Amino acid sequence: MQRAVGSLPLGPALRARLAAAGFQTAQELLDTGPCGLSREIGISKEEALEALQVVRQECSGDAARTAGGAGTTRKCTALELLEEEQAQGFIITFCSALDNILGGGVQLTKITEVCGAPGVGKTQLCMQLAVDVQIPECFGGVCGEAVFIDTEGSFMVDRVADIAAACVQHCRLIAEAHQEEDHQKALETFSLESILSHIYYFRCRDYIELLAQVYLLPDFLSEHSKVRLVVIDGIAFPFRHDFEDLSLRTRLLNGLAQQLIIIANDHKSAVVLTNQMTTRIGQSQSTLVPALGESWGHAATVRLIFHWDKSQRLATLYKSPSQKESTIPYTITPHGFRDVQPPAVTQNTESTEMNPRKRPRREEEK
Amino acid sequence: MAAKKLRRAKLPQELCERLSRYQITTCQDFLCLSLLELMKVTGQSYRNVQKLLCQVSLACAPKMQTAYEMKVRRSVNPSSAFLSTTLHSLDEVLHGGVPCGSLTEITSPPGCGKTQFCILMSVLATLPVSMGGLDGAVVYIDTESAFSAERLVEIAGNRFPAYFDSDEKLFCMTRSIHLYRELTCDSVLKRIKSLEEEIISKKVKLIIIDSVASVVRKEFDTQLQGNLAERSNFLARGASLLKYLAEEFSIPVILTNQITTSLSNGLAIPADLVSPADDLFLSEVSGAPGSGKKESGCVTAALGNTWSHSVNTRLILQYHNLPTRQILVAKSPVAPFSVFFYTIEKSGLVLQD
Repeated sequence: MQRAVGSLPLGPALRARLAAAGFQTAQELLDTGPCGLSREIGISKEEALEALQVVRQECSGDAARTAGGAGTTRKCTALELLEEEQAQGFIITFCSALDNILGGGVQLTKITEVCGAPGVGKTQLCMQLAVDVQIPECFGGVCGEAVFIDTEGSFMVDRVADIAAACVQHCRLIAEAHQEEDHQKALETFSLESILSHIYYFRCRDYIELLAQVYLLPDFLSEHSKVRLVVIDGIAFPFRHDFEDLSLRTRLLNGLAQQLIIIANDHKSAVVLTNQMTTRIGQSQSTLVPALGESWGHAATVRLIFHWDKSQRLATLYKSPSQKESTIPYTITPHGFRDVQPPAVTQNTESTEMNPRKRPRREEEK
Repeated sequence: MAAKKLRRAKLPQELCERLSRYQITTCQDFLCLSLLELMKVTGQSYRNVQKLLCQVSLACAPKMQTAYEMKVRRSVNPSSAFLSTTLHSLDEVLHGGVPCGSLTEITSPPGCGKTQFCILMSVLATLPVSMGGLDGAVVYIDTESAFSAERLVEIAGNRFPAYFDSDEKLFCMTRSIHLYRELTCDSVLKRIKSLEEEIISKKVKLIIIDSVASVVRKEFDTQLQGNLAERSNFLARGASLLKYLAEEFSIPVILTNQITTSLSNGLAIPADLVSPADDLFLSEVSGAPGSGKKESGCVTAALGNTWSHSVNTRLILQYHNLPTRQILVAKSPVAPFSVFFYTIEKSGLVLQD
């Protein structure tokens, strides 16, 4: 009630007039009433009424916050956070080595960035995750839906259909091996059509469409509350050309990062971004570094870099608050993103290693 | 989309006028400002500005489709998803052929057959759908003046003798291939911008640019300061225009590129390797046996890293043992690395089994 007038979210012209008229606290405004206000400042009665409604909303919001209600800022102890984190799911990637170095998989409520040279498998991983997020809980998934924002046009529906079919097949084999009732029930709804129907695809042609889409995303996610994964495939592409004003680009990217963090937290979903690599010409050699500059590196919580070593694809965990840096090999099969098969195993095996915490190991059948 | 005027975003008239006093007329200007700046220019409260932002975003944002809808649409019209190259094993690996709606790049050292491949694809695009073609016109942007109409007729006559049995059919086919000779980067970009109307009026089903690298490398010397950035800018703009055309009309776009060695004044760029296909196969062929080949410089596709990100499929042609050559699938969202051997005959490219 004692809130200063200058801090209220009114239009700046209105605030200037209120200050000139000598109003200092919100309480004074509320006491004056709309007619008095309009007379004193010289605005119309409707405008005065609107202003007072805004003030009232703000003040009641303040009161609720100080009373410890469900406001936007919450206090909790680290113990509560620990319990929350442990109960949270991960989105598995079907490559157990990658899941291991990530600490279980792609984490919800965090932003994960995947950088890599062209053709190394970033879009493949994104498509795999869009399918994996829908795995039912009894099989170790988070049973969510996916939003796929594509800026490069590399989303291939046929490929996603192949990956989804392989995933359904995998779950079917697990259900057969374990014969539990909830497995069977989950399998009824987990089919190719349902997987594809729950991937919401947006094609953004330039950075303005991308910005607009991210502004609208919170409303979309409120309507589709089961979404647990937001993928932006190619956050670098729209920002890397036609930008003379680099400071504008940095500002837009920072704003984007902020909004994505809010979305990840409020809707308990994982945000996965893919970035390109650019060549930095140094003194005596040039190296590949992630694009979009140094300051963008701070936006993501977890950063993975995919690269080649001769003909082997490798993934390096470059930045993570809880796991240590390591590099693992992976491969891309017709079924999707997988581990590299160890040489002792015969070629025609179907098995992929599973995260032992989430699902029991399946014995070799062939 | 970005240049959409705010009036068309259904903002109230007085607000648009007020904003135009601050030079904010398009959605792009509006969305690039922060919330506080917007409050200042519109003179509205925080909540109203948020509502305005949502309204303008709705005017710009893309439409949502589910993956299922996309799949259904593709399966309803399967023949329009690919342009078959009639090179059987290559088509199999690529799940049908050159994909529609995305950019495909053909890269090779000089003389391996890029232009031959392009001429072959032009013939194929004009064929009726029953024969695996797209039954449409072709836009061929030639920057090297390498297109030969005689060769075109020769390939058509030898590859499909049953179909092109009369002169009239040949003339009909040649009439649907529109050739443009552009010799500078600017004119290429202008031509690409003008393509949207041409595609609709002439019912174009294939765009070929032969070659992007020659015109870019002529004009941009990357040794000079600032040219690298300008070149990337030009390429990125061209790529996004072509992607828009490819997706909007669901047609394939074929571009050709050249091979380059790394910078010769000692600056080794092993990091510029796009994929192991570039490193392994190319240096095997072009270098001497032994470890010397890696040190003398790696051979990679030209035009840099950013360009490699923009193309969706990359095919590399190389020499093998003359007259045999090989074609590699180096980057593709649906195909793994594969190598096929071919020769160049009267009827164009012929795969060897």
